[in-house]
Amino acid sequence: MQNEQTQNSQEPPGERPPIFRTWNQMYAFVLILHAVIITLFYLFTRAYS
Amino acid sequence: MAILDWIVMLGTILTIVAYGVWKTRHVNTSESYLLGDRDLPWWTIGLSIMATQASAITFLSTPGQAFADGMRFAQFYFGLPVAMVFLSVFVLPIFYRLKVYTAYEYLENRFDLRTRTFTAILFLISRGLAAGLTIYAPAIIMSKILGWSLNYTILFIGILVIIYTVAGGTKAVSMTQKQQMIVILTGMFIAAIILIMQLPGDVSFGDAVGVAGKMGKLNVVDFTFDLSNRYTFWSGMLGGVFLFLSYFGTDQSQVQRYLSGKSLTESRLGLLFNGVFKVPMQFLILFVGILVFVFFQFTKPPLHFNQANIEKLAGTPLEGEYEQLLAQQDEVFEMQQSEIRELIAALNSDNEAAVSEAQEEVATLLAADRELREEAKGLILQQDPDAQVEDRDYVFITFIVRYLPIGLVGLLLAVIFSAAMSSTASELNALATTTVVDIYRRSFVSRGSDRHYLLASKWFTVLWGCVALLFAASASLFENLIQAVNIVGSLFYGTILGIFLVAFFLKWIGARAVFLAAVLAELIVIGLFLMTQYEISFMLFGRPITVNIAYLWLNLVGCGLVMFISLLLQGPSWKRIDTALGKG
Repeated sequence: MQNEQTQNSQEPPGERPPIFRTWNQMYAFVLILHAVIITLFYLFTRAYS
Repeated sequence: MAILDWIVMLGTILTIVAYGVWKTRHVNTSESYLLGDRDLPWWTIGLSIMATQASAITFLSTPGQAFADGMRFAQFYFGLPVAMVFLSVFVLPIFYRLKVYTAYEYLENRFDLRTRTFTAILFLISRGLAAGLTIYAPAIIMSKILGWSLNYTILFIGILVIIYTVAGGTKAVSMTQKQQMIVILTGMFIAAIILIMQLPGDVSFGDAVGVAGKMGKLNVVDFTFDLSNRYTFWSGMLGGVFLFLSYFGTDQSQVQRYLSGKSLTESRLGLLFNGVFKVPMQFLILFVGILVFVFFQFTKPPLHFNQANIEKLAGTPLEGEYEQLLAQQDEVFEMQQSEIRELIAALNSDNEAAVSEAQEEVATLLAADRELREEAKGLILQQDPDAQVEDRDYVFITFIVRYLPIGLVGLLLAVIFSAAMSSTASELNALATTTVVDIYRRSFVSRGSDRHYLLASKWFTVLWGCVALLFAASASLFENLIQAVNIVGSLFYGTILGIFLVAFFLKWIGARAVFLAAVLAELIVIGLFLMTQYEISFMLFGRPITVNIAYLWLNLVGCGLVMFISLLLQGPSWKRIDTALGKG
């Protein structure tokens, strides 16, 4: 929470992500999507090994 | 090559070059030339970042890597999305706030002019040499495969890149990279579809994937922790983050791409776009390599993929032995056909015992095939001890020129040339920008007109283009060229990263400490390299010490030394450390 406030206070005005309310949510989306992709790759590896 | 292929290839490449020159014909200020008016949208930035990283070697080598070693190379990129998020959070806002043209400009703001100039020079040396290799490496493969002169191939790539990079600067580079990435992705996607369509009638796509899996080729993720294993989940996530932070955060050829964004938001989205799509793109390229592997299970592949090496045996006493190996390969291939079909039948009937049995048979035949290939390499080396016998870079291009339909050969060759041009253009653009902004304008001609700097930028682009061409054209004179360039990179990259890490995270360290640390670190790195190279030992406490450090570790050594010596010279900030430990 403190991190988010610190980060948001450094943000220039008007710099908001287009699809989420905050940049932290945007970053979380990218990292979660990456985790999902790795999981799918892992399942792919298991399925065909 | 058929006329239609020539038309498609040259038409695609020249259209992109003409588009780049035409769309940027009104670029007439130095800011516009070096930063593209800072008006690019996120998706152009994202594609430009991807195109800069993906050189022609990516598209020549990666499918060959999958062909020989499976898909585990995908893990190399697992740290990239984390690095993109890290840069978006911590680095990009600083660059934007200071409105810098180059990453090194920030170092003057944070430290002093000496540190900025020193770092810029380290970048110019390492990237200047690498630009030559970016042209030379694909040119040597393409010239052998297409039967062109090596020097004409180098000139073909180099001159076209110089034309549009000089004409339109950063904006031309980014705009052409957008088109080039579209051609590249379309070409790779079509190659995948053609490969699936060229499977035998009795083998479905599912069967092909099943066979590749049973041959151990679909090993995308490996969670075992093994330091000697180059590609695992852990090496990708730990080593990869470190590597991609240094590449995307401190290399001007990448920094320039995202600094040309319309706003901080657009630049961030460009980086995150790369974070989202880079790993799936590498998966696609590797999967094309797997499909090539499956294709060559049903279509007899060449015993050695580099035709130029085979031609060395023609008319020699070794030619007969090579013919014998070919005859043995025929036998192995025939047996393989029936065994693979048995494996497919077993997979389709879910008969585990039959699957294991057929899998073992096919693996034995593949091992026999590998042995024949090694024997063929041995013959080539007997004839020419200096021959480069590693042929995996020739696998995909062999498939392209021999098995794709007319028209598509031209498109796929355009893919390879586009990739070579896109990464070279970024490099020339970054080299010229760093030379003008960090050296020429800052230290030599500080009161010139805007037109003066615009012209200087164009002439420095031409100069760096000529340096790259000269280096590429004379590269064949040096042995182990790739290794030589990697060594030069490793000598400087660690120090550059160390300076930036101190700048970003050790806020209390000042200019004098970091500059001395960087110079000392660089001298130690060069010293360690020379001691390893020439096997020099020295006495320490009466005992002889011999240094033997593989050059890739010099990256880590250089970075660690800059941080450590800076801390020693400046002294640690105990207050900050106490705060970090929760004692403050």
